[in-house]
Amino acid sequence: MTTSPRYVGIDLGTTNSAAAVFDGDSVTLVRNAQGGTLTPSIVRVDGRGNLLVGSRARRYIESDPDNTRGEFKRLMGTSKEVGFPASGAAYTPEALSAEVLKSLRADIQEQFGFTPDHAVISVPALFELPQSAATSEAARLAGFKRVELLQEPIASALAAGWSDDEQAGSWLVYDLGGGTFDVSLLETRDGLLRVVGHDGDNFLGGKDFDWAIVEWALAQLRERDGVALSRAKADDAPAIRKLKLAAEEAKIELTRAQATVLAIPNLTTRAGAPYDVDLELDRATLERLCTPAIQRTLAVCRRLLESHGIAPGELSHVVMVGGPSVMPGVRRQVAEGLACSLSEGLDPMTLVAQGAAIYAATAGLDAQTQELAVPGGYKAWLQFPAMSSDLTPHVVGRLVADDKAPAQAPSELRLVRSDGLWESPWAAVDAEGAFILATSLLARRPNVFKIEGRRGDGGSVTISPATVTIVQGLTISDPPLSRTIGVALANDGVRTYFERGAPLPARRTFTLMTVEGVAKGSDQSLLKIPIVQGEHDEAHLCRLVGTLEISGVEVKESLPSGSEIEMTLELDRGGRMSARALVPALEQVFEDVAQLLVPEADPAVLLASVDAARERIAGLRSDAFRRGAIPSLDRLSAIEAALPELEADIAAAQGGDGDAAQKARRTLLELDAQLEDLELERNWPEITQEANEAVIWATSWVGEFGLPHEQRLMEETAKALRLAQEKRDPAELQRQLRLVQRLGNTASRRHPEAWTRRFEYAASQVGDATDIVKAQALVKQGREAAAKGDNDTLRDVTQKLWQLLPSDVEKRRLSYDSGVR
Amino acid sequence: MADAPRRFADNPFLVLGVRPEQPRVEIEREGQKLLGMLELGLRSAATYMTPSGPRARTQEAVRAALAELRAPEKRLMHELWASLPQAQASAGKADGAPGDPYRGDASQRAPDHTDTSATQPGFAGAFALFGWRRP
Repeated sequence: MTTSPRYVGIDLGTTNSAAAVFDGDSVTLVRNAQGGTLTPSIVRVDGRGNLLVGSRARRYIESDPDNTRGEFKRLMGTSKEVGFPASGAAYTPEALSAEVLKSLRADIQEQFGFTPDHAVISVPALFELPQSAATSEAARLAGFKRVELLQEPIASALAAGWSDDEQAGSWLVYDLGGGTFDVSLLETRDGLLRVVGHDGDNFLGGKDFDWAIVEWALAQLRERDGVALSRAKADDAPAIRKLKLAAEEAKIELTRAQATVLAIPNLTTRAGAPYDVDLELDRATLERLCTPAIQRTLAVCRRLLESHGIAPGELSHVVMVGGPSVMPGVRRQVAEGLACSLSEGLDPMTLVAQGAAIYAATAGLDAQTQELAVPGGYKAWLQFPAMSSDLTPHVVGRLVADDKAPAQAPSELRLVRSDGLWESPWAAVDAEGAFILATSLLARRPNVFKIEGRRGDGGSVTISPATVTIVQGLTISDPPLSRTIGVALANDGVRTYFERGAPLPARRTFTLMTVEGVAKGSDQSLLKIPIVQGEHDEAHLCRLVGTLEISGVEVKESLPSGSEIEMTLELDRGGRMSARALVPALEQVFEDVAQLLVPEADPAVLLASVDAARERIAGLRSDAFRRGAIPSLDRLSAIEAALPELEADIAAAQGGDGDAAQKARRTLLELDAQLEDLELERNWPEITQEANEAVIWATSWVGEFGLPHEQRLMEETAKALRLAQEKRDPAELQRQLRLVQRLGNTASRRHPEAWTRRFEYAASQVGDATDIVKAQALVKQGREAAAKGDNDTLRDVTQKLWQLLPSDVEKRRLSYDSGVR
Repeated sequence: MADAPRRFADNPFLVLGVRPEQPRVEIEREGQKLLGMLELGLRSAATYMTPSGPRARTQEAVRAALAELRAPEKRLMHELWASLPQAQASAGKADGAPGDPYRGDASQRAPDHTDTSATQPGFAGAFALFGWRRP
């Protein structure tokens, strides 16, 4: 006997977490032991190792902050452990998140009488792959058998769309959480919700408002009382923690009140005596303090709208999500900045959890593992949308051949709706045992259909499973990937697997070549295949998110340089990645992705990087002055303006704030990419000259040896290249330049002597080959082929020789030591 | 036109085996049906026809095709390519997927409140509106 499906959604937040259960009809919020729908994402471990979670843990955050920890979501995916000195225990961020998930799971058991095995957990849209992987691990540790991850803005959008029939056109979800900011542009049409695009900042949230208040308070204390406290000093950390807590409370209070007081007894000691703080903060000051962060969120929104050709005034509305979004200052500035109305009546604190629960229905992820098989029934394997905006979706099925089945196979099947008011026509089973059944759904409710089968002689056949349930309502199209993902190559290039915006889930395989051998049995011999995330053509500008490693200890036989590797990357709907490398020569598969961690951010290295950035800025600025390049100067000023905040984060990192260190690392990477763009722009005359010469060179080869479609493509590319020149777009120009070079190369290889020349050039470098014996044998083979005029063999030999020539050492270092090309 | 073979081969209408003038809801329905059939490993869904011959149909290709057609500006471009005579000919001999479950019994047809194909000409109709004639 099966019970009706229940779908569980969880919002695992930075500050608070929430869970919701959807039964196909309505969403119910899960209440914790204290009766609240929000469970603080806080864990306490006392001296005896006892663990407290949620509100009960939060009570100790002021009195025993060292053993009461929150905001560990911001450390997800890093190797940084969180220590609890009283017990001497240390937990990974995912282990702490698992405790929060266990607590929510127990609340569901208490309220609904079942322990969920499956759930949908929300993650910020711009979570990097290691952070998503850590979230899945947290769920596994909490006892979930299967989870799907869902981007938070999609969850909010789904919940907002589900509760409102009238929504149509383009709209935004503005999700300002405790530690992250996400904005999504959506479109609703024919009951289908489409994510047009999204953007955000992984290190911008309510916490930044709190820090702005803390900095203001520190300045007040310094000015008024001469008390100098600093986030950079580890000794001041306890006082800073108390101030931050008071700042958070004041911020919440000012949502309703016009003014409040930051009252902190015994903040620190002054001349040996306790120092009490008493600072008045009004709403206008709070808004002034928070405005830079709010304006940063609006800049992200405008960037998103602009990239999709939408003016702010063209939006139908904005849905506000997340605790800080209830602040009057935030709401006013968003409404004014985006020139549209804000959605009312939605609970910004639980919308994500509600959407996650609805999405669980879309994904057919019933929270309980149910036995659907009917004893004695003829088994059928069914595929259908568990949730559909379509009123007449198909149910596709295939009979599972079973010699032991007591029943004879049916020749026809049909569906009968549980209300008895509709039945599908009988559908014949084809030669493959397949059938397609029609449905007719009643709007916005779960629809249960009984599956009936009959034999050719008219006798009925029991089918297993006996029923299917489809919920009719707003559904979401395949979510788009938020960041381009690829493999870093030894020449610092990137083999792109999935472009930003690609629908998820997705899977792709490319054949790569090793640039060096892997010696069997040697633990020193390690081939790395770095997986990177980012929109840049150079690997070093993208973020390393994992490395698939092939070690000499694992290989069955030594793997020579130039061997083929069939590398597959796969992403599920939540953006969770798995990688697989098949080495055909060894018939071996490698699947362990090592270092799926956000890289460490050492404050000393970060500071050195800031110094280097300053030098680059100075060089670029003097060059821009000479050229009178005003736009470049403006961009440089903007980059320079970001440095003080970056240095403040590094100072906080020196004081032990791991989160600030990660934020600084990300910011530096982004600044690096911007400086790289400006350097390209500085080299504009050289790049354009190179482009012009490449066009002349390629046009002549393509004109003489190109196929007709290559000649036409050459014309189009030359046009695109000229357009990029007119627009002074260095990145686009480089892209087109690469295409021109490829076309020229392809055509030039058709020249009767092309391969002879290429072979001779490769042969001249044979002394540098990674496998000299093999390379010399190839040279001998090539000379014989050249003498016979055997162009095919010559081409084959030359290509093999190329694989043995070393790649540039510096470029390999930049591309995360990639061992493939 | 240089990349015409690719534009035909990857054309979402051909991948999904639907006509350019079909409304969005029907295209989504067909896409979901194909995803189900591919998941079940049905041979009848495994290939589709293009002007340059049959091609393998994968779940990734179906998802990508659906995503392309959801974006109105992209759909318009694909409609143009799919409306060319070469593509139309391929669509005519599209995959051998098991047929419409309502085939042969129109009276049983379930209500489809969103079927607007009769009133919305789509891109194919736009040719005529602009006075173009197909060769």
